[in-house]
Amino acid sequence: MKKVPTVCPYCGCGCGLFLHVEGGRVIGVSPNRNHPVNQGSLCVKGWNCHEFIHHPDRLKTPLIRKNGKLIESSWQEALQYVAKRLSETISRYGPDSVGVLSSAKCTNEENYLLMKFTRAVLGTNNIDHCARLCHSSTVGGLAAAFGSGAMTNSISEIKDARVLFVIGSNTTEQHPMIAMHMLEAVDRGATLIVADPRRTKIADFATIYLQHRSGTDVALLMGIMHVILAEHLVDRDFVMRRTENFHAFEESLREFTPERVEKLTGVKASDIRKVARVYATEKRSMLFYAMGITQHITGVDNVKALANLVMLTGHIGLPCSGINPLRGQNNVQGACDMGALPNVYTGYQKVTDPKARRKFERAWKRRLPERAGLTVVEMTEAALEGRLKAMYIMGENPLLSDPDLNRVREAMEKLEFLVVQDIFLSETAEFADVVLPAATFAEKNGTFTNTERRVQLIRRAVLPPGGAMPDWKIITGLSSLMGYPMQYRDTYEVMEEIALLTPSYGGILHYRLDNGFGLQWPCPDRDHPGTPYLHRKKFARGLGTFLPVQFRMPAELPDEEFPFVLNTGRTGVHYHTGTMCRRTTVLEREEPEPFVEINPRDAEKLEIREGQRVRVSSRRGSIVLRARLRDNTSEGVVFIPFHFREAAANLLTNPALDPEVKIPEYKVCAVRVEPLEVVKRPKRPRRVDIEELRIT
Amino acid sequence: MRSVVNIYTPLKGKIEEARELCPDVKLYRVRVPKEVHYYPGQFFMLSLWGYGEVPISVCSLDDTQTLEFTVRKAGFVTSAIHQLQAGDTIWLRGPYGRRFPLEMSYHRDVVVVAGGIGLAPLRAVIQYLLKERRKVKRVTLLYGSRTPDGLLYREEYDTWRASDVKVVLTVDCPSDGWRGNVGVVTTLWHQVEGELREAVAYVCGPPVMIKAALTDLFLLGMPADRIVTTLEAHMKCGVGKCGHCYNDGRFICTDGPVFTYKEIKEWDLTL
Amino acid sequence: MKGWILPKNSLSYWLRQLRKDSDLIGPLRTPDGDIVFESVEKIHEIVLDPPASLPSVKEFFLPQYETVFVFKTDTVRPIQEKRKRVIFGLRSCDVAALRLLDRFFLDSQPDPYYSERRKNTLLISVVCNRPDPTCFCVGIGAGPYLKEGFDIQLTDLGDRYMVEIGSPRGRRAVREYSFVFQRPRKTDLEDQFEVQLSSTARFQQRINLEGVRSLILSQRVDEGFWQEVANRCIQCGGCVYVCPLCSCFTVTDRVYQEHIERVRLWDACLFKGFTRLAGGILPNDAPVSRTKRWFYHKLIYYPEGIGGFGCVGCGRCAVVCPSKIDMATVVLNIKRVSENAVSG
Repeated sequence: MKKVPTVCPYCGCGCGLFLHVEGGRVIGVSPNRNHPVNQGSLCVKGWNCHEFIHHPDRLKTPLIRKNGKLIESSWQEALQYVAKRLSETISRYGPDSVGVLSSAKCTNEENYLLMKFTRAVLGTNNIDHCARLCHSSTVGGLAAAFGSGAMTNSISEIKDARVLFVIGSNTTEQHPMIAMHMLEAVDRGATLIVADPRRTKIADFATIYLQHRSGTDVALLMGIMHVILAEHLVDRDFVMRRTENFHAFEESLREFTPERVEKLTGVKASDIRKVARVYATEKRSMLFYAMGITQHITGVDNVKALANLVMLTGHIGLPCSGINPLRGQNNVQGACDMGALPNVYTGYQKVTDPKARRKFERAWKRRLPERAGLTVVEMTEAALEGRLKAMYIMGENPLLSDPDLNRVREAMEKLEFLVVQDIFLSETAEFADVVLPAATFAEKNGTFTNTERRVQLIRRAVLPPGGAMPDWKIITGLSSLMGYPMQYRDTYEVMEEIALLTPSYGGILHYRLDNGFGLQWPCPDRDHPGTPYLHRKKFARGLGTFLPVQFRMPAELPDEEFPFVLNTGRTGVHYHTGTMCRRTTVLEREEPEPFVEINPRDAEKLEIREGQRVRVSSRRGSIVLRARLRDNTSEGVVFIPFHFREAAANLLTNPALDPEVKIPEYKVCAVRVEPLEVVKRPKRPRRVDIEELRIT
Repeated sequence: MRSVVNIYTPLKGKIEEARELCPDVKLYRVRVPKEVHYYPGQFFMLSLWGYGEVPISVCSLDDTQTLEFTVRKAGFVTSAIHQLQAGDTIWLRGPYGRRFPLEMSYHRDVVVVAGGIGLAPLRAVIQYLLKERRKVKRVTLLYGSRTPDGLLYREEYDTWRASDVKVVLTVDCPSDGWRGNVGVVTTLWHQVEGELREAVAYVCGPPVMIKAALTDLFLLGMPADRIVTTLEAHMKCGVGKCGHCYNDGRFICTDGPVFTYKEIKEWDLTL
Repeated sequence: MKGWILPKNSLSYWLRQLRKDSDLIGPLRTPDGDIVFESVEKIHEIVLDPPASLPSVKEFFLPQYETVFVFKTDTVRPIQEKRKRVIFGLRSCDVAALRLLDRFFLDSQPDPYYSERRKNTLLISVVCNRPDPTCFCVGIGAGPYLKEGFDIQLTDLGDRYMVEIGSPRGRRAVREYSFVFQRPRKTDLEDQFEVQLSSTARFQQRINLEGVRSLILSQRVDEGFWQEVANRCIQCGGCVYVCPLCSCFTVTDRVYQEHIERVRLWDACLFKGFTRLAGGILPNDAPVSRTKRWFYHKLIYYPEGIGGFGCVGCGRCAVVCPSKIDMATVVLNIKRVSENAVSG
């Protein structure tokens, strides 16, 4: 038995664990006791992340669609075919007719190589990945305010904080090991404030819980800031010395009195005052948020409002004091850092900046496109309009994860050529012209960057099954066939190239990551110890900017026809589209089927019983699933997890986008709920009175 | 320590007959390669490679080479079993668990209380009572189902009646032409002749029904150790190892599945 | 005089001999500083005073993931692990736990997989001179040293080990290489006694499970207490996975192209699906009933059924529990709450 130290492939916590290997098979997992994030613990997904690795459904050979069927083929045939079709598409329709989706599940090195392949070989900036759908608002909003869009603190600081303000994050279920640190802080006497339209488990530990209406985050935050301003709780020194544009911002708060905000959000004015006072007056205050903030058409505004809040109170730039977007995927931070985005190269160097472009052109020896490319949802649009002809998708599953699936499906059907590279035959792969079998986290070397910017090494424990190959090898192979040889011995050589081109990763090299628990960027040179918290003494962009925002309602509000608000999200045992966890015995058994959470009072009105099948429909589609009566959503709101292909929540969701970063509004759309199979039971005869019988 | 026999290896059986008793319920007669001795109340782990194993109680008596099982289509494995037909192979291991204490019924009145598929293990009990008919006094079967279609072993009732078993039927949702009782099975106590407190009861059905029947019988004066039931639980091994059926210090598979009310009075059966 | 003396100088030679026909498992330091039990290649790298292994020694007898049958073209083949193993450096609590597991797995309807592994494994346990802060075996009689039940028990006396033999298997492993062992002198026994005393004195917590058992049995712990414990639980399953005595498993079939594998995997009673009946009925839907089940099993039913607490005080649940509701914490809380109830 060997135990290989590596990093969990599920969420952005980036927990350290060991894969237990015997006879060429991974047969178990155990937590790393010293790891700063999980400290010897794991969540149920982590404990079970060994099972899917050897699942019989793993893709083992490349598949090519012939006469409508996916047929096994050799690597040579598959890659040559892909190279030929991509080249043809480019020569016929131009490079911008190809779109690429990179993956927040793959390593930094793989994201970098696919990004390089897209820009240098295909010649387009049309590359994006699922960060668009989760934290593009963060990248947009925080970059504008501070110049850098990432978690500013470290996870290990949480336990020492005095105030934790968690908004729009189901931390206990989605980032269990971060919740562990929060719980420890609460045990040590910290005040926990939770704001979420859906009451999740983290609220059980809260001192103050605010249940605001879906999509009213801006109003709530403006109300809190109004109080801070009115009660002179502003950190004047901080505002003066470290920020700009305060006066314009101050104006924007004027009308958001707690009383007016109460009307907008449903949160009592007294609670708003209380939260404002607690948050502003304590010094070690940490702010946390996740999809509940970002997945709105006002996603960027929400993030900007949060940025304003931390600047107003000076709660940033110190240990235990900052703003912390909790990133979802194990390497979504890294995929963004690696420039798997349409507008930036690695380290957020803009493609429109001629200096940056020249740097990459010199390094890659190719002319690079000048205009920013298409985002995920824009690629769907472009495909529908016939502008996008081919797509290359690495480890993503848009046919379950993107909003308004019927349209996505239509778009995929319109494509002339679709390549999917994945470990299982996902819903998207089933649609592809070519499927390339990739390796899991246990079968390759590389790095993941967790939510606290910690770049960590993952290590190969076993060989991939059959002919499956690590994603980076597939990309280099394909690139060479397309006339641009990429030669790397292993991923450490790729990392060296990344370090050379990326200031914030300048000192991050595999040999430095081999002992200990990685390095937190920015880490500009080989002697730099990494940065536990950001914006010390000065912001990345110099002065922090206050960005006034307007309150806007969600794009689609309930009406007579669709009277409920639909909120979507995840459950604690499943992860995204379920390709891994739904192939894990224990996890699948916990939540084997789709469900909709509905408030018992609504259920009563609609005559829906626990476990009954109901139809949920929106303007875009309809699904059938079982009802679960729970009072953690308020009346008029229903919640559906989006993992299940049997009843994909995203058939219902609204593809309305944030105007700035194009994130879709997953968290609010209008739906109708109807009970199915109404069983009219006859009135049963009364149970016989036992006493009566006993006497006779 | 010497090597031990692999208790988890299933035997290969052959399905001689697969008969639909009602929608979603089938009776399987399975021939096994070697003699197997079993008693009413015991169960086997039916096994389908590629699907898994399920505990199913045996619903026949005596024949050591052909066993009968009544299987309701409820989950992954039972749905797969429902695809099988006569001539197909099915794997099984057992028998497991405690048998019904049937000697207890000698020289007493017997009440058999069943709900839905719960009649399956009790069918073996009834067959036993028929065989030992002279040793027991009056036998009453109270049997409830949701619909008349759901009543199992309908063609056998006449045989039972011929041996002086009083068969009382009831349904929740009567269809046209239904002339029996309507309502839950626990509305039928007055149909039992004689002193309940002197009788023996064998009970099986859905958890809610078992709970109601056990408490009713107890309140009607029947001693707790003469009220006998059999419980269903999630099981993976059948031999007290996997832990799934463990409840309040006992394994349903090895300490049960047959329990007297006295033994499980504290359990909340409908948790 | 009982026992043998093994000079530390000779340890690696002896282990090397034992390794000739076995896989040697021992505690090794990983690059990032943790210590894990794995196959030993370089014997000199073995850590001689390791913390409690994670998950626990049960992983070598009831693996986390194990193929138990292969089914191919109408024939069934049980997969039995025949490989011999020597596990060096496990703790007394681990040995005590295995003795209890033996009763569970071997006394009636013996489990063939556990039995085979147990038969093929030699245990060389080491008396804990330095218990972890989470350890409390001393109150349960499962450590820091054992009087019986081990194959071979070593006590670190500085430059040498006191070697005690507790089974025929252990005797063979010593007798075959008897030339590296010496007869102990009186001073060795004195030293051993001193080590035992000082080790016992080093425990940071002492926990009386018996007292808590009677508190629970006399209804002094109310539902509200368990509700609070359950509220903190995030159902990670960690306590069950690392517990050397938790042995629940699930079984699943995996259909490969050419064959079918029947696999057994660790399972945990803390999951709501653990007791799910076909048709979706969940008998233990309330988290509190599951949390209670775990503690009751260990504190109440295990003593009744197996004849010892379902806890050996290894403290592993305190390491892995993200919510700090491990055995020691909960037991101490029960005591505190009921004492307050009495005095108040």
